Amino acid sequence: MSGGPPKALPSTGPHSLRDMPHPLAGSSSEEAVGGDSTPSPDLLMARSFGDKASALFHQTPREFHICSAASDGSTKACQDLILPNGGTPAGTSSPASSSSLLNRLQLDDDIDGETRDLFVTVDDPKKHVCTMETYITYRITTKSTRVEFDLPEYSVRRRYQDFDWLRNKLEESQPTHLIPPLPEKFVVKGVVDRFSEEFVETRRKALDKFLKRITDHPVLSFNEHFHVFLTAKDLNAYKKQGMALLTRVGESVKHVTGGYKLRSRPLEFAAVGEYLDTFALKLGTIDRIAQRIIKEEIEYLVELREYGPVYSTWSALEGELAEPLEGVSACIGNCSAALEELTDDMTEDFLPVLREYILYSDSMKSVLKKRDQVQAEYEAKLEAVAVRKEERPKVPADVEKCQDRMECFNADLKADMERWQNNKRQDFRQLLMGMADKNIHYYEKCLMAWESIIPLLQERQEAK
Amino acid sequence: MEQAPPDPERLLQPAPLEPLGNPDAGLESVVVEEADRPRDEGSGDGTMTENNFWLKKIEISVSEAEKRTGRNAMNMQETYTAYLIETRSVEHTDGQSVLTDSLWRRYSEFELLRNYLLVCYPHIVVPPLPEKRAEFVWHKLSADNMDPDFVERRRIGLENFLLRVASHPILCRDKIFYLFLTQEGNWKETVNETGFQLKADSRLKALNATFRVKNPDKRFTELKHYGDELQSVISHLLRVRARVADRLYGVYKVHGNYGRVFSEWSAIEKEMGDGLQSAGHHMDVYASSIDDILEDEEHYADQLKEYLFYAEALRAVCRKHELMQYDLEMAAQDLASKKQQCEELATGTVRTFSLKGMTTKLFGQETPEQREARIKVLEDQISEGEQQLKSKNLEGREFVKNAWADIERFKEQKNRDLKEALISYAVMQISMCKKGIQVWTNAKECFSKM
Repeated sequence: MSGGPPKALPSTGPHSLRDMPHPLAGSSSEEAVGGDSTPSPDLLMARSFGDKASALFHQTPREFHICSAASDGSTKACQDLILPNGGTPAGTSSPASSSSLLNRLQLDDDIDGETRDLFVTVDDPKKHVCTMETYITYRITTKSTRVEFDLPEYSVRRRYQDFDWLRNKLEESQPTHLIPPLPEKFVVKGVVDRFSEEFVETRRKALDKFLKRITDHPVLSFNEHFHVFLTAKDLNAYKKQGMALLTRVGESVKHVTGGYKLRSRPLEFAAVGEYLDTFALKLGTIDRIAQRIIKEEIEYLVELREYGPVYSTWSALEGELAEPLEGVSACIGNCSAALEELTDDMTEDFLPVLREYILYSDSMKSVLKKRDQVQAEYEAKLEAVAVRKEERPKVPADVEKCQDRMECFNADLKADMERWQNNKRQDFRQLLMGMADKNIHYYEKCLMAWESIIPLLQERQEAK
Repeated sequence: MEQAPPDPERLLQPAPLEPLGNPDAGLESVVVEEADRPRDEGSGDGTMTENNFWLKKIEISVSEAEKRTGRNAMNMQETYTAYLIETRSVEHTDGQSVLTDSLWRRYSEFELLRNYLLVCYPHIVVPPLPEKRAEFVWHKLSADNMDPDFVERRRIGLENFLLRVASHPILCRDKIFYLFLTQEGNWKETVNETGFQLKADSRLKALNATFRVKNPDKRFTELKHYGDELQSVISHLLRVRARVADRLYGVYKVHGNYGRVFSEWSAIEKEMGDGLQSAGHHMDVYASSIDDILEDEEHYADQLKEYLFYAEALRAVCRKHELMQYDLEMAAQDLASKKQQCEELATGTVRTFSLKGMTTKLFGQETPEQREARIKVLEDQISEGEQQLKSKNLEGREFVKNAWADIERFKEQKNRDLKEALISYAVMQISMCKKGIQVWTNAKECFSKM
């Protein structure tokens, strides 16, 4: 993976499939072990690169330059490994402003929501403590007028591994479509408390977004597994039934993974592959910049919190100056509060969207790989036929079928990619405008605070 | 006068030890009488009455700084910075200012001037010099004495020092100060000829020396306390401010990374490309805007630093007062013990155990002649001591009066200056906020076009 940049793409596909945990494998320990149980050398390499990168990052804290693409290997590592040191800086989120993302997402969904007939929300996380494990479930409320839904409204509780199951099912049953990403499964232990309010809230929002993306999708939203996921009282029973199907589809995808070189990958898909590499790389950089800014801001906040009170201490010594000094102290206090709000908002609203898109690029790459495999299969068959062409005048049916499959795949994927591009553009416009707004808002608050003390300072002056 | 000839009744009383500054003290009338004399007695031969008003006609500036190399007293090569002092006469026929003098001085000469002022005007809160070395710096500021930014800030500080002295009602009349501005050569010699170093009380130099004063003046005790507190709070403030500046710098500079990454990202986007590209430009602007902001803020820090050093000057006045009170009390104590001895001799009673008492007992009574002679000697000493005490009392009152007048002046100046400093600080913050709003509004505009 750290080798030639363009070749990185084909090699990641099998991994992401192989690393997928079996949906039924150890229902109790899935989150803890999962795909990490058989780390591939590539993955380890990526880890160490990431660790090195992040270590460097910390050793020179006063270096403000964040390198974006020094070497492809290291940056790929950064993008594969969702920075362990990042996450949500502990103890800075306040639940008060947590609804803003939700509002934004809902607004955003309403843009093309006129013909909408399916509404899904994720809320009310609950912690379950059993003897074997502790986990969180989320309430999923579905409202729909679609005929497949017997009731107008459903409410079920699901845990993360159920979402994971759903995503795997979607990937199997809709291999030609781009499946939205789930939030990262693993958090580095000890860095983030999996049961902390902030973590659960961030994950809830991400899960909500995941379901909304599926709901918005013209094909995925009709998927049978999705329907079951939304409505089944007992999902585990259903999970067991589906086992046989999985193995079959899994094999059909796997058996063509040889290092076959495509003759003519359509240009548009080749371009998307390259685009995704750069895109993920840039987003990874933006993610690191954003985290670094938040870190700097929090450190700034710590100093401000000490700075303001010094003016108060001073004001206690003074007579005539007491009031102005106290004013400055209060003003700095107001600015600190505004800054805290800014960092909280950025942590809660900005970083998760970046994460989602970084993961999205991985989903996209894996579906592109599957497409390549289907094309490879077709080309291989076509070649075989070409050899025997003299003998048989007609192209055999299975080759035609294969061609159909490839063309369907291409069409599905193209539509999904267009949809994705569209979403991406809207999401980033909103995200970045939101960032600008938050900063403007912050400066406006500070401005107000400082402007309000000017008369206090001047009035005294003239009174004298 | 209240120091009447020894009155046996009063002799037993301890000498009056009221604090120097007590306005209710008995010698009020004397002080009033004395008030007609030139107040700046302490300045001695330095006073130039003929120059009383010259300060009004003159403008002072430190207009230039220059790096020089020379040899020091040890004949070692040294590099230093010289500052060009220009004085202009303002009251000219056509109202134009005319350059009257311009000369070069180095920092050490400023130091000499200030030391001279400190010794000669112990009752005055002498304006401080700018820091010798950059203190309370944050990472981006250089602590190098030859750093151009530092030299420039020091130039402003030195000019400020000269203006402070020139606008001081008493210091401005000092001859040495006048010569500092007008006579380049031989100035050092002239200063040293005043013998000010001899007048310097070495006890004052011991910074932490405290004198066990029995009867401290409450006002000065409070002032000293204030000076201590002020010094500690301002230095704390400066330390934290440096860290705040450091962090703020980081926040802005890290944003600069967006500039590059947006621009790189824009290369692969179609519709979003232009918006990203120009937003990236605004992020660059944002990151570089912090340099000017923090440079302005350094000026605020310098204003605070001046008062940090003023706090030390304030403490110096308090220390001087304490020392005078101490001397006064010692003199009073001495006098009291002499009076007691005298009384013992006169009445033949021994109130306390003493060597004399012992010898009397061992060797028998002295002859009346001897005793008379000793009483005579003691009485002479007592009257001398009383004169001394009286003059010390006078001196002390005079000091307190002058010092307090200057402290009042200083307090007013401090309140005015610091308020101004706070206003300008607030204005800086406002301008920073406005810049921030501007940049982010521009960026938002770009994002909205994506």
